[in-house]
Amino acid sequence: MFWRQVSALVRRDLAVEAATREALATVPPLILAGLLLAGIGFELPPAELAAVAPGLLWLLVLTAAVPLARGVLAAERDDDAWDLLRSLAQPAALLTGKATSLCLQMLIAWGFGAALAVALLGARWPPVAVLAAVLAMPGVATNVTVFGAVLGEHGRPALLTTLILTAGLPALVAGSQAAVSEGAEAWLVLIAVYDVVAIVTAWAIFPALLEE
Amino acid sequence: MAESAQERAGRAPRPVLGLLATVAVVAALVLGLVVAPAEAIQGQAQRLMYVHVPAAWTAFCAFAVVLGCSVAVLMGRSRRWDAHAQAAAELGVGMTALAIVEGSIWGHSVWGVWWTWDARLVTTAVLLLLYLGYLGVRGLPGDSRRVSRRAAVVGVVSFVQVPVVHFSVLWWRTLHQPPTLVSPSSSPPIAPMMLAALLVSVLAFMLAGAWFVRRRVAQLVDDSPAEEMAAVPGRASSPLIVTRGSS
Repeated sequence: MFWRQVSALVRRDLAVEAATREALATVPPLILAGLLLAGIGFELPPAELAAVAPGLLWLLVLTAAVPLARGVLAAERDDDAWDLLRSLAQPAALLTGKATSLCLQMLIAWGFGAALAVALLGARWPPVAVLAAVLAMPGVATNVTVFGAVLGEHGRPALLTTLILTAGLPALVAGSQAAVSEGAEAWLVLIAVYDVVAIVTAWAIFPALLEE
Repeated sequence: MAESAQERAGRAPRPVLGLLATVAVVAALVLGLVVAPAEAIQGQAQRLMYVHVPAAWTAFCAFAVVLGCSVAVLMGRSRRWDAHAQAAAELGVGMTALAIVEGSIWGHSVWGVWWTWDARLVTTAVLLLLYLGYLGVRGLPGDSRRVSRRAAVVGVVSFVQVPVVHFSVLWWRTLHQPPTLVSPSSSPPIAPMMLAALLVSVLAFMLAGAWFVRRRVAQLVDDSPAEEMAAVPGRASSPLIVTRGSS
């Protein structure tokens, strides 16, 4: 029952994205603009540009999560679908479904940015960096889901950005360091702990956000 | 039932806490500025530690109070817990900002720079931003109960950053020194008199912080309609935190 609800929610959110193409229209241009402007603005030698690329990409992906977070709740309220969703799905299923669809979209955004960073900045992505991104994204997406539910309808993008960027710090640091430093295993452990804490916390408190 | 103004006035902070805080602050000043010796290498600048470390510890404790009160709000406790969460967050933000500014002044005299890209500095600044965000959520317009519940959610999520700040000096290779009081080693790396001055300073900051929180809570309670301070209706039988099988 739970997984059927989650699956239905993910398929619904992806179908809405396929129909509206809202994320497609906003996220890739944002990442492209960020990488291009950083490349010319930093004026770094190619080797140093390649070294900062992982951190830059994580920063851009976290920033791109802000418009995606609006889809968690505000878009549902705009469509008068939120009350229906709450009545049909358990809070945990709603959280998991929303976070999973966000996670997929953010992973695609990271993959797109990573490919661009190779072409534009000469970045190199060892397999452990890709693994770090895949591992970190569930925790990031869960936090984005919670903050989107808290703030998505209030039209306070600066506040939402502040919360998402700051709460995403462990993922940003660990994800970037896994790409450029030795001893990546320790960073993977930090990412795993971050995931567990983010998911367990959100699981416990998300029902409170639905009682409105 | 709505409480009367007399009952609410009866919970006004008593002066004992303020007096204790004042005595502790005077003792900390004497110990920190007169009794404790100057550090051999850093000189007088090291005395900034007697403000920097207690401010950071008071901030951590304040954020722990925000966490506890936020959980209580989500479990449907009285809105008085919400006032405690707000007051503690304001204290924590102030103390974090003080620790950063003090640390910057100390760092300038010891390291020669106002700021460096050190894990402890960055994570502390991020912690400050998170709780500024929490206070931002508290300022959202709309139904106050809804806003306090949303702020409580952010209060719980934000606390995750506190252990990251504390352990950052152990997890990363940093310029910042490792923890002085809560150190992995059995004996603190500090002279006994310095340790005494530091502990009294921590006590003074804690008492002054507790006094501030009580005053601020009384002010918030006075500013709120009486019925808002009562328990959230129906929460005793249907907690907001739903566990498996509780529904």
